[in-house]
Amino acid sequence: MFEHAARCVIIATVGIATAAPGIELPTPSQQPNPIVDFETQVIPVLTKAGCNSGSCHGAAIGRGGFKLSLLGYDPQADYDSLVSEFEGRRVNQVRPEKSLVLRKPALDIDHEGGLRLKPGGDGFRIVRDWIAAGAPRGGDRRLLKIEVAPTTQWLPDLGGQFSIKVLAHFATGDQRSAVSIQQTSEDVTRWAVFTATDPAATRVDSSGAVTVLRRGQTSVMVRFLGEVAAVTVMVPINEGGDAPANRPLANFVDEHVNRTLDALRLPHSPRTDDRIFVRRVYLDLIGVLPDPAEVDAFVADRAADKRQRLVEGLLDRSEFADLWALKWGDLLRIESRRLQPEGAAAFHSYIRDCVAKNTPLDVMARTMLLATGDGYAVGPANFSRVPRDAREAAEHVSRVMLGVRLQCANCHNHPLDRWTQDDYHGLAAVFARVDRSREVKLVARGDVIHPRTGRPAVPRIPGDRFIESPDATTWRDQFADWATSPVNPFFARVAVNRIWRELMGRGLVEPVDDLRATNPATHPELLDALAADLASHRFDVRHTVRTVVTSEAYQRSSVSQSGNRADDRFCSKALVRPLAAHVLIDAVVKVTGVTERLGDLPGGTPAISLGDSRVASEPLDLLGRCSRDAECSAATASSGSLPLALHTINGPWLNAKLADPAGRLARLLTTSADNAAIVTEFYLIALSRRPTQAELNHWHDGLAAADSSGRVAALQDFCWALLNSAEFGCNH
Amino acid sequence: MRRCDGVNRREFLRIGSLSAFGLGVADALRRRTAAADDGLRNCILIWLDGGPSHLDTFDLKPDAPAEVRGDFSPAASDVPGIQICEHFHRLATMMHRVCLVRSMTSPLGEHNLGSHYMLTGYQPSPVIEYPSYGSVAAACRGDAGVLPAYVAVPSFNAHAANGYLSGSMRPFAVGGDPSKPDFRVKDLDAPAGFDAARLDRRRQFLADFDRLSAQVEEGAFRQTRDAQFEQAYRLIASPAAKRAFNVGEERPAVRQRYGMSRIGQSCLLARRLIEAGCPFVTVTDNGWDTHGQIYRELKEGYVGGYAGKIPLLDAALSTLLDELAASGLLDETLVIVMGEFGRTPKLNTAAGRDHWPRAFSVLLAGGSVRGGQVVGSSDARGENAADRPVSPTDLARTIYTLLGIDPDREFQTADGRPVRVSPGGQVIRECLT
Repeated sequence: MFEHAARCVIIATVGIATAAPGIELPTPSQQPNPIVDFETQVIPVLTKAGCNSGSCHGAAIGRGGFKLSLLGYDPQADYDSLVSEFEGRRVNQVRPEKSLVLRKPALDIDHEGGLRLKPGGDGFRIVRDWIAAGAPRGGDRRLLKIEVAPTTQWLPDLGGQFSIKVLAHFATGDQRSAVSIQQTSEDVTRWAVFTATDPAATRVDSSGAVTVLRRGQTSVMVRFLGEVAAVTVMVPINEGGDAPANRPLANFVDEHVNRTLDALRLPHSPRTDDRIFVRRVYLDLIGVLPDPAEVDAFVADRAADKRQRLVEGLLDRSEFADLWALKWGDLLRIESRRLQPEGAAAFHSYIRDCVAKNTPLDVMARTMLLATGDGYAVGPANFSRVPRDAREAAEHVSRVMLGVRLQCANCHNHPLDRWTQDDYHGLAAVFARVDRSREVKLVARGDVIHPRTGRPAVPRIPGDRFIESPDATTWRDQFADWATSPVNPFFARVAVNRIWRELMGRGLVEPVDDLRATNPATHPELLDALAADLASHRFDVRHTVRTVVTSEAYQRSSVSQSGNRADDRFCSKALVRPLAAHVLIDAVVKVTGVTERLGDLPGGTPAISLGDSRVASEPLDLLGRCSRDAECSAATASSGSLPLALHTINGPWLNAKLADPAGRLARLLTTSADNAAIVTEFYLIALSRRPTQAELNHWHDGLAAADSSGRVAALQDFCWALLNSAEFGCNH
Repeated sequence: MRRCDGVNRREFLRIGSLSAFGLGVADALRRRTAAADDGLRNCILIWLDGGPSHLDTFDLKPDAPAEVRGDFSPAASDVPGIQICEHFHRLATMMHRVCLVRSMTSPLGEHNLGSHYMLTGYQPSPVIEYPSYGSVAAACRGDAGVLPAYVAVPSFNAHAANGYLSGSMRPFAVGGDPSKPDFRVKDLDAPAGFDAARLDRRRQFLADFDRLSAQVEEGAFRQTRDAQFEQAYRLIASPAAKRAFNVGEERPAVRQRYGMSRIGQSCLLARRLIEAGCPFVTVTDNGWDTHGQIYRELKEGYVGGYAGKIPLLDAALSTLLDELAASGLLDETLVIVMGEFGRTPKLNTAAGRDHWPRAFSVLLAGGSVRGGQVVGSSDARGENAADRPVSPTDLARTIYTLLGIDPDREFQTADGRPVRVSPGGQVIRECLT
């Protein structure tokens, strides 16, 4: 006891707690005269007991006439509810045990919520002690942060168990004066709320003990007083055996990927061969099938660094700018109904220019955030024209620039993350004085009313600080400075996450624009390393693209090994990815030699060069192109639909091209080429390889069965099947 | 009319979800013999998207203060003691067919979350996407007929989709607007000069391609594509099935009775599809997210208009029930009418109501549903379920029971995780005969 008190004093005078999890620190009920702090001790009890959850008193109108703020985000309102409302019967300072806030959850009286605080238990005692001390408001103790241990736990097998410890760091003292602020730490495991992200994979009890039920990687969420954290849990996917020694390693990406493969005991697929590599990297970087001559030249090249040089060459091609401007367009929602054709064209042109010149990402972001002027002439000004009002602007900016979905914090503090209503409405306030009509400009008036105060929200950098300056013309600048700073925790991470998803098929965080503590990355250190790398290279996007594409992880074959068949996120093999709508349209054009009609644009316009998502094209719609009138966070999924199947079988998209007299097949038929030569040419252009002998034999037999009058039809059918084959329609 | 959040529903729920891998296992299950013999064969789910106000449709509170009771009054129906909104003139004459649940309650007041919960019986999860009733029914049914086993009229609803089940359980959306004169389901007929033999050769060649090439393993892309193509071939080969989609074939008098509105002609199309053998149709009616000008939206649509949500639904639903009953199909068909939540008891400053999931109403009719009754009730202001609260999970279990599907039956996801069709809940016994 004396030892504990002495340690407490020492910590207090030193100022910084040095406790690590595992050391037992005093809890209030062990101290001689417990001073119970409402915000940091009573509220956690109510949260742990579930009182302020969304299905009970934390609901919008509360429950049974008693309302608490959702998960305790508004301590003042909760204090008023408890102490002042209901004629003070909830809290009885003369006879604390008679307080309704004790009697009901102890089931001393009827309580729909059941038994929540066992009489005499820790929680009951804390609330009781607080009431007995006069139900003080307190408020000079606040949470600085929580530390969770372990943050990652590897277990060798199923059925393994471990315990999570939660350490909270508090600052005590008059918050307004810097004098006499003490920092303390306390083990708050008892009061943290633990939730398994996947209850079928892990079971976690209220004390933080975790049992693993399924192999693989999963997480457990930890919440205490508005702070949230995730604990990653890993159990090898394959039992027994040794990890392969010396997995191939090209750069730091592989260090992180291989380490996780080792921990999960996943075998890796070998490097993919040159032909497949060429086709893959052409489609990923420039959205175009390689010419057979280009493929042959690459295969014949003996240089050791030929893959790196191929990548460099592709980054410089104009199609790289087309394709990546298209991806940007989906993110920035460049479409002509909101922006008008002129605005959409100007915006697309600006973006394409940036990609072509490799404009640093922070420069692009600043320009888009701050641009003013005529949207028809000033491309980046259209960034501000997409959202309809300040709140939409806050949501759009946070999603695009920070990878954060702020929406929930509109009505209450975000239940899954740290964002508050102040953050949401404060960020909206930053963008409230913007006129979003054709001419984008700053205006003198415009406020966002904070729903809790009923007064104009104070402009705020989310999660960081209120903006002090009264000069509204600087608010967006201050946000832009913060967002694009190299130490901003979100900007670079969401950027590299998106690049990773485009190239690898799945983001390190999914959905790609939902970065939050409770949605951990599959490879958190890798995400951090890529982000730091981007920031330290002047936000050079091509640098990150290059880093990813030259890694061994990217170059793996998509063919499964025994033991990694089900892997869809640990990069033990490449993922098979259906071609995106625009890329597929262009690939079909290239193979058939017949152009695709896109709106009123000139024949031969590549689909990947389209700036507006509203250009009329039935195949593009059926293939699932992003309409851009709302968010499209997933990569365009041509995962098939019955209307698409019907159109592919019966519609003109493929059929007209195959019958076109100017098309590749028709032209070949006017030459003396035999069936084998025709088959080979189509394989080369569509699949970047020659048919195997078995394939040649098969097509020889299949096509020979048709007589001369049926030869054309038979070859058309062969082409139709080729265009629908998985090998053509996917990037593998 | 858009929903207030304008978010693309398709994307919202993919919170770290498994990718939509096809299921060898589920496909094998599909080939089992058809659904259980007890249980209704068909279902028409009319989805009132946006969250219809319970206080202005089926659960009016004439004694509440003015700012709660609103402009509409209740009127008697053909069932003594059951009153619904005065503007449901025709539905009021057939409430003897309807089981009205007034004590639905849910904690989820956001469109995507609430919709997912109501359409699957599961609260949305970051780990897995759950399938909706139509997809589960399709998976349980075994090989359906020529028509798709699950059709969405007119548009695809991302929350009423196939979840972790294979892509072949995805609903087939007819697209367009069945009330428009040029409505047709496209690409149902093979091009000129294409006979069955030609289509067959293409099918064979495609299978050959994938078999010969070792490059892309059997997986999601091939399975989904194959399932969709198979379905397409069956449809193309059946003139009778194709005719079912042609609402233009109906007599004008019949079309008028449903109403020449999107909801009216969608219900008519649903009837035709059920008659032609499609077992599950979802009809989506947008525009119930009435945050402002609720009485104009519900009664007239626009000032002086005839496009109010209630009269249009009234004509469509009552005609649908009538026609199904007349043909005897109603005995084999479950009809569900619902939205994702109700609306706030207190009118807001824009003369509308906002989201309110704590109490709302759902209608069930047809087959073995016991009509002519109200189950549960909300309190005096329609704020809470006062008596006999029913959760979306309870409703899901009831729906599956009515359809003869075992709610505790398990399917497997792509990575071998067993998932039950319904996560518990209690069947609403009062709804069953």
